[in-house]
Amino acid sequence: MGCELLKGFRMLDLADDKGATCGKIFADMGAEVIKVEPLGGCPTRRIPPFLNDRPGPDTSLYFLAYQAGKRSVTLNLECADGRRLLTELVRKADFLVESYPLGYLESLGLGYQALAAVNPRLIQASITPFGDRGPGKDYHAADITIWAAGGNMYLMGEEGRPPLQISLPQAGLHAGAEAAAALMIAHYPRQSTGCGQHIVVDMQACIVWTLMNAQAFPIMHGASMTRNGVFSGALRLKRKMVFRCADGHISMLLTGGAAAASVKALVEWMDEKGFAADWMKRQNWSVWAPGVISAATDQEVEQIKDIEERVERFFMTMTKREIYAGGLKRRILLSPVNTVAEIAADEQLAAREFFVPVRHDIDGAVTLTFPGAFAKLSATPLASPAPAPRLGQHNQEVWGGLLGLSARELSMLRASGII
Amino acid sequence: MAPFALEGIHVLDFTWVAVGPITTKYLADNGADVIKIESATHIDVLRAAPPYADGRFGVNRSQFFADYNTSKKGVTLNLNHPKARELARRLVPWADVVVENFTPKVMRAWELDYEHLCRIKPDIIMLSSCLQGQTGPQASMPGFGQLMAALSGFYYISGYGDGDPAPPYGAYTDYITPRFAAAVLLAALDYRRRTGQGQFIDISQYEASLHFLAPALIDYFATGRVLKAQANRSERYAPHGAYRCRDEAGAERWISIAVGSDKQWQGLLEVLGNPPCDTRFATMLGRLQNFDALDGFVAAQVKDREVWELTAALQMAGVAAYPVQSCLDLHQDDNLEAFGFWNWLEHKEMGPAPYMGLAHRLSATPGQLRWAAPTLGQHTDEVLREMLGLSAEEIEQLRKDSALI
Repeated sequence: MGCELLKGFRMLDLADDKGATCGKIFADMGAEVIKVEPLGGCPTRRIPPFLNDRPGPDTSLYFLAYQAGKRSVTLNLECADGRRLLTELVRKADFLVESYPLGYLESLGLGYQALAAVNPRLIQASITPFGDRGPGKDYHAADITIWAAGGNMYLMGEEGRPPLQISLPQAGLHAGAEAAAALMIAHYPRQSTGCGQHIVVDMQACIVWTLMNAQAFPIMHGASMTRNGVFSGALRLKRKMVFRCADGHISMLLTGGAAAASVKALVEWMDEKGFAADWMKRQNWSVWAPGVISAATDQEVEQIKDIEERVERFFMTMTKREIYAGGLKRRILLSPVNTVAEIAADEQLAAREFFVPVRHDIDGAVTLTFPGAFAKLSATPLASPAPAPRLGQHNQEVWGGLLGLSARELSMLRASGII
Repeated sequence: MAPFALEGIHVLDFTWVAVGPITTKYLADNGADVIKIESATHIDVLRAAPPYADGRFGVNRSQFFADYNTSKKGVTLNLNHPKARELARRLVPWADVVVENFTPKVMRAWELDYEHLCRIKPDIIMLSSCLQGQTGPQASMPGFGQLMAALSGFYYISGYGDGDPAPPYGAYTDYITPRFAAAVLLAALDYRRRTGQGQFIDISQYEASLHFLAPALIDYFATGRVLKAQANRSERYAPHGAYRCRDEAGAERWISIAVGSDKQWQGLLEVLGNPPCDTRFATMLGRLQNFDALDGFVAAQVKDREVWELTAALQMAGVAAYPVQSCLDLHQDDNLEAFGFWNWLEHKEMGPAPYMGLAHRLSATPGQLRWAAPTLGQHTDEVLREMLGLSAEEIEQLRKDSALI
């Protein structure tokens, strides 16, 4: 099912893994998204792992996930016909997103100024690793170096071991989603002025925005947070945020103050099983938030050690599932450290029919299961996921149908290595 | 001065903590009028969360709160009081958009849920964003992003793969959802302009965040494979990771490097002075298949290098590299500076401080952090007087009735 929200709007998607989520969000919202791919295919077609470990142009799981619902045309931009065809396509487009190295499209005569000259309504987002002005504007980048540059890597990992990235690279996903938000911001005034504009998305800045305000600590408190494994929380005070249990780990906020009722309920639960210390039963949790308002006292540091050890011993007697169920019942602020298998079996997601089957044709018919709508809209439900396109699948439809090229012209363009 | 992109949009903002406020901040910094409703009886927990200006606690001193609430007006209404609820309802006709991120029962209890708002203003757009969505057995689960980041799989796939997870810092998923929420909210506003139709948007932080895990989920459903934490190992790049350089001023320095081709590998070797190395490293496949040995080789080669000198040399040689930056480093980063990321704002109580700017820049109608976050109730009188036409006496009486705390 299509979505009415952006029905009738067209986006040209020239982004790689620095911004695939942008077009995906637009496709979900009902826009027609045309991926303009080089003849060898978008680099995201080559990102491992592959479906059933069978590498091929249409089996990258990354490609399947983030190019879902888009159309695909092939185009060689490095020749005159290719440039002309892109320009013709731009005439009929409302949005364009790209993530080429800075200046590449300009060098082909396809920079924003040139495209806006043929379509002043065009809104273009250029996704850049380090912006368009600084000494690093032409820097080579990969997801991990942007994760590092933006400060998240420094905060991930254990002391004495290397800083980490998440084992499914995230920087490009953030940048694409940021581009989607920015394009919609620019779209709003265009609806009355008719004027498009150019947007620069800074990936490094996108990552700084994931730091949960740690970026302000050196300014306000005179020191930077460091990586602490399963510990985090207040500066100079290690607070455990991930606890072991019988079959994995539990994430929990073990502090009073705003979360006093949660700690109280936890202590009651522990007491039922003989794991609570006397001081814990007497404690007024609404005033127990070591390190939040002021530095922790020696007594509080002892208490932290005691309660963290006891909680872990208590959790070791149960599975993630049992602890999550008990926590939900008692309204304790905790959650299991879920695997994708556990997420796939989650009853809340099932009740909301979040995961949806999507029929694909990859070496024969196969039904894959996808994350569904990122939001539920009452009047204009988001589009159900559709398969990602095969390379050039919509050449005929777009070049022939939309731009009116004849079959003979298409043949000649193909023979010349242009589409 | 260029007009702002979203001038004329009116937002009634009941949000707190992170996801809601960051979503409405996209609107506020782009010129929308955003009135944030809060209460000292149920304080936005970020007001009580560090970092604080000068390291000193105070409800108007948290930079955590300040960073997420720029360009908004702040009004205190004690919505447990019927007179305060009445004032909130009187603001609804003014609003194009209402945004909130409480657990689902809260707005219903105040009779400020979508159904009630529609009776006042049939074309209102309301966006609700709680942890797990408005429906389903876990809809009322309370909690913060730390829980959501674990629940939605990000903690499990972070770490060295040989023990405990090493999760991303804190409430990671809080910083995924707002980008989706801002995009869809603006699309809904445009749709209303074209059709006259408002609507309700239920965005579950859990569901939105899972889109950043989509390849692993599709893989699991198809093959049963469970993605695990694998340190910085990659199937695309080798070497790929963080490598310790020479300490500076007593602090560890690390460099991130990713090599995805023979040419880049040759570039890396040249920068390292062409040291003798394992013949297995001569091909891309060899490097990928001997990832750990290669990791050790690179680590040994860079340990005495100065991190920025090495970064510059690697970049010259065509290799993706950047220092692993601490939060302090971010404030001294030339690229963030050149983008204009840090915005110094003067806050009524906190004084001047560098705020995080927008991660994007519009050429014709750029957004701007227009003013620092409101102190608790800073604009209460102004809004009640100018927008609802209340007299000073009426405001005084409401205050005596505890409706405005």
